[in-house]
Amino acid sequence: MGHYDTTSLFLLAAILAPLIAGVILLFGGRFHINTLRAIGAFGFGWPLIIGLMLYSLFEPSLVGDYNFEMRMPTGLESIGIYLHLGLNGISMPLFLLAGTVGFAAGLYAMYSNAERLHLYLALLLFMLGGLMGTFASVDIFFFYFFHEFALIPTFIMIGIWGGAGRRSAAIEMTIYLTLGALLSLLGLIALYVQSGVDSFSLLELRQYLLAQPLSETVQNNIFALLLFGFGILVSLFPFHSWAPKGYAVAPSGAAMLHAGVLKKFGLYGLLQISAPLLPAGAAHWFPWIVGLALCNILFIGLVTMAQKDLKMMLGYSSVMHMGYAFLGIATFSIVGVGGALLMMVAHGLSVALLFMLSTCIYHRSQTFDLSKMGGLATKAPVLAAFFVAATMASIGLPGFGNFWGEFTIFAALAEVEKTRWIVAPAAIGIIISAIYGLRAVANIFFGQPKEEFEAQLNGGTIEDLKGFEKLPAGILIAALVIVGIFPRILSDDANRELAEIYPTVDTLPHHEVSAIPSKETHKEVSH
Amino acid sequence: MTATQSLLAALLAPLLSAALITFFFRRRGVIASTISVVAAAAIFIFSLFAIREMGTGSVVASWDWLTFGNFNVSMGFFFDGTAATMLTMVAFVGFLIHVFSLGYMADDKARARFFGGLSIFMFSMLGIILADNLIMIFVFWELVGFSSYMLIGHYLDTEEAAAASKKAFIVNRIGDLGFLVGIVYAYWHFGTTNISEMHGIVAANADLVNAVIAACLMCGFIGKSAQFPLHVWLPDAMAGPTPVSALIHAATMVAAGVYFLIRIAFLFPESVLGGIGILGTSVAVYAGFCAYGQNDIKKILAYSTLSQLGYMAAAFGLGFPGIALFHLITHAFFKALLFLGAGSIIHGCHHEQDIFKMGGIFKKMPITSITFVLGVLALCGVYGFSGFYSKDAILIAAGLDGTLLFFLLTGGAFLTAGYMGRLVWIVFFGKPKSDAASHAHESGFTMLLPLIVLAVLSVTGGWLQFWPEQLGHIIHLDEVKLHNAAGYADKHHLVLILGSAAWIVGLLGSLLFYGKGATEDQLEKRAAPVYGFLKDRLWFDEIYGYYVAKIQQRFAGLLSVLDVFVIKGVLVRGSAGLVGLIGMCSKSQHVGSIHGYVYWFLAGLIFFWVVATGVLKAF
Repeated sequence: MGHYDTTSLFLLAAILAPLIAGVILLFGGRFHINTLRAIGAFGFGWPLIIGLMLYSLFEPSLVGDYNFEMRMPTGLESIGIYLHLGLNGISMPLFLLAGTVGFAAGLYAMYSNAERLHLYLALLLFMLGGLMGTFASVDIFFFYFFHEFALIPTFIMIGIWGGAGRRSAAIEMTIYLTLGALLSLLGLIALYVQSGVDSFSLLELRQYLLAQPLSETVQNNIFALLLFGFGILVSLFPFHSWAPKGYAVAPSGAAMLHAGVLKKFGLYGLLQISAPLLPAGAAHWFPWIVGLALCNILFIGLVTMAQKDLKMMLGYSSVMHMGYAFLGIATFSIVGVGGALLMMVAHGLSVALLFMLSTCIYHRSQTFDLSKMGGLATKAPVLAAFFVAATMASIGLPGFGNFWGEFTIFAALAEVEKTRWIVAPAAIGIIISAIYGLRAVANIFFGQPKEEFEAQLNGGTIEDLKGFEKLPAGILIAALVIVGIFPRILSDDANRELAEIYPTVDTLPHHEVSAIPSKETHKEVSH
Repeated sequence: MTATQSLLAALLAPLLSAALITFFFRRRGVIASTISVVAAAAIFIFSLFAIREMGTGSVVASWDWLTFGNFNVSMGFFFDGTAATMLTMVAFVGFLIHVFSLGYMADDKARARFFGGLSIFMFSMLGIILADNLIMIFVFWELVGFSSYMLIGHYLDTEEAAAASKKAFIVNRIGDLGFLVGIVYAYWHFGTTNISEMHGIVAANADLVNAVIAACLMCGFIGKSAQFPLHVWLPDAMAGPTPVSALIHAATMVAAGVYFLIRIAFLFPESVLGGIGILGTSVAVYAGFCAYGQNDIKKILAYSTLSQLGYMAAAFGLGFPGIALFHLITHAFFKALLFLGAGSIIHGCHHEQDIFKMGGIFKKMPITSITFVLGVLALCGVYGFSGFYSKDAILIAAGLDGTLLFFLLTGGAFLTAGYMGRLVWIVFFGKPKSDAASHAHESGFTMLLPLIVLAVLSVTGGWLQFWPEQLGHIIHLDEVKLHNAAGYADKHHLVLILGSAAWIVGLLGSLLFYGKGATEDQLEKRAAPVYGFLKDRLWFDEIYGYYVAKIQQRFAGLLSVLDVFVIKGVLVRGSAGLVGLIGMCSKSQHVGSIHGYVYWFLAGLIFFWVVATGVLKAF
């Protein structure tokens, strides 16, 4: 019945390993701490190892199709649902992102002093399993199912391990995100029903819909469901109010995985499913996406500037940066969607790092209030260095991946006359993010400490970053730098894949005069 | 070694140094500083290799960096005479300042961080010089901004450094906004951002020169070279260690804005050039006035830098990019010398920076003083000194263009000599006016050697005929262009007279007005309102401060309130409330008491009756 090969079994293992480790840890109340960590290390590390291995085995020639494809019957064949897994140039980067952030979050969580650690780790592992599954699914039913599977532990974790005000935040987040998920589920089902192809496979749906596109009205309606459903999940303005408070109270592991990876589900859905399958719908809703995304960047950007609480600020800034990704997808071009993809990966890494470091800061300052700190760099220079690097990454300094995301999106906006004006307002975001980012750095680390903090700072109890904090932070920084210096390790495969499913814009006005860039990778001319 | 390999080695040496320091020698100041100095020396040596290999041609190399659809980013080298000139200057001055820092920073606790920062800076600066396309320039442009941020904030436990580093980065970002927009527009306009390809396109079809793109790209220059209205960050940046002020905020980084303009000069139409000329001239004069209101030796030099950057911009705007490059190079020599000299004095005076607390330095620190005075003479454009040749050329170019810019720029030369004279008479002569100054001591060898070498260059750097033939090609071209222009001879004599008058009047006038080793500012005493006006620098900092605190931050606060109350409160909670209301209504039907059901039954009955009898239709 099913078809698979050895490498695709590894793909399946990347999903199952964290789930199995999670199930074991559920009953791990009496395990020794080292046993817990060993099981955790397996569950958190395996997906990353497999991700890297599959990346090295990735076959670029399978463009338009999936690598490591496997299809298993599930008992729901009658309505066309299979456990259909595989990776392509678009999902591969996100699969790696999930593995990397999952490993870093897991490492940090294993050494945290959370109560009922075994349960905490188990829930994080379930989340990770769901995430790996989401980005490995070809079948859009499972794509959705895995997302829900990862979402539910988030609510539980906020409810149990959250900070002050966790109950209301958890309830608001649950209702809001469930609503978003429900809308997108409606959209996916409508896509299935309207296409009449009797399959949830993205491949079959795509082939069919490219040959026989849906009518414009149907496309518009389905796209709306998907846009606003996914939009809620990605905190599209004005559906963002769950995010800052939710992240502010979430325990660091949950915040890292949710803001870093799970949130990207909505964008991934938009760029892999909605936009390519419903091009007319995307064109119809284009002004809406642009308007709302600009609100994300400018309105939320300014709101971020007004925040006095470090975690609220990080939460809002993550909402703000999603605006760029939406703009990239709105251009409906290879350049824009490629930029959005890089942005998603880099933002995922940097926001996870920032949430983790904010917890490290809290452990030293006992407060998130930016106006009550100062001078921490003298006592914790390594923490300061990491935080500055993470801030610089998130405000788009070249050398980190985020820069390529933002820059490519700006380039995509300028590609056609119609969207060219958007570059200027969108780029104001680079000033806004510099203001709040550097302000936070200066308030926390530089200058003289504020009164109450001074006693604490000079009390001698504040230590610099420890090994278990350095390692996950170092992994995330390294990943950001690698993407920043060698963006091609992700972009080349993605570019090939996007060229299959997105149209090329050929509007260069001076195409005939422009010298075609040489394909030679290395030439030297002395004359 | 091919030229490309040498350039790669020069580029990567400081990066390697920064990485080594970051990962292994964070707490080992001596090793870190040695590595950094060796890297700086390596840059200079590899640069010489590359220039020798290059001959009189150029070196081009390119690698793909990122491709999405039609959008293609590459990184590569475009190494021609202009780049070689700039590279030689940056590598050499950079090396000298590294050596100077060995002495200056010897007691600093965070020496490793400082030298690591210098290495990152050298890496980023080299990237700008060598880059063959606008996107790569932008990448390294942002990186020099970051290293500048790091180094301004070196004394990070002071509020001053914390605020100044933040301000420098953010103000630069404002300029970079325009730069970024210009780059992405240019990409689709020309189909490339490669400098030589764009040059080819524009040469083939001059109609493709676009004023909007040029104006956007100019914004990057305004931010980095601290031109009006983004000039406010540079004086504050003096909060960094003095070698940083010499290297980054005088000789190299701020001049990178001018260098960038020179590289893409062909993209500028007359209209934008005219704007840059006026902008540069007004900054040259404005900053000259501001310098009179400063008592901090570094801030006086900072305003002097602003003013000289204005001269470079004016030269560029007048259509002489080669002359701008010439002034950039000579300025780098004497301004680095002046800043390092100031550093030597500050070091000798135990970190005293107020000129009115110095005095009598000449006797205490003879070598520093002599070299400093040579730098002042070069800056003032004394005949034969390096600054004379480049400033002379700028004034002639202005004179050929028209009267307004010419008189403003000549007036600026008078101002320059005046404020530098004020500094020299007060600092070096008379009696020491503080304990720090009376205990001043001459600096050590590592600090004096760079001063002496730079003093030699400040005197001789303008003698173009002794420059190697690979360097200064476009300077020669512009000199020839200037010589052949109509009316050159008249202007040349006029400038010679006025320029000499400027430094004589300025230096002597300041001696007469301020006196030797003055203890207080005569201008402040005799004409307090004028002094106050100069000190307030036209209130730009105050206006920006007011905008940030009172308008921007309040607007952000207002939006934040709106976000919490309208979106979160009314819309989200409101819709939750609506659902709750419907729930309450429908719940009231199921109260569980027989009375309740009787009333609902009656209400239903009446409803059906109303519908059935058609009473409802009457409405």
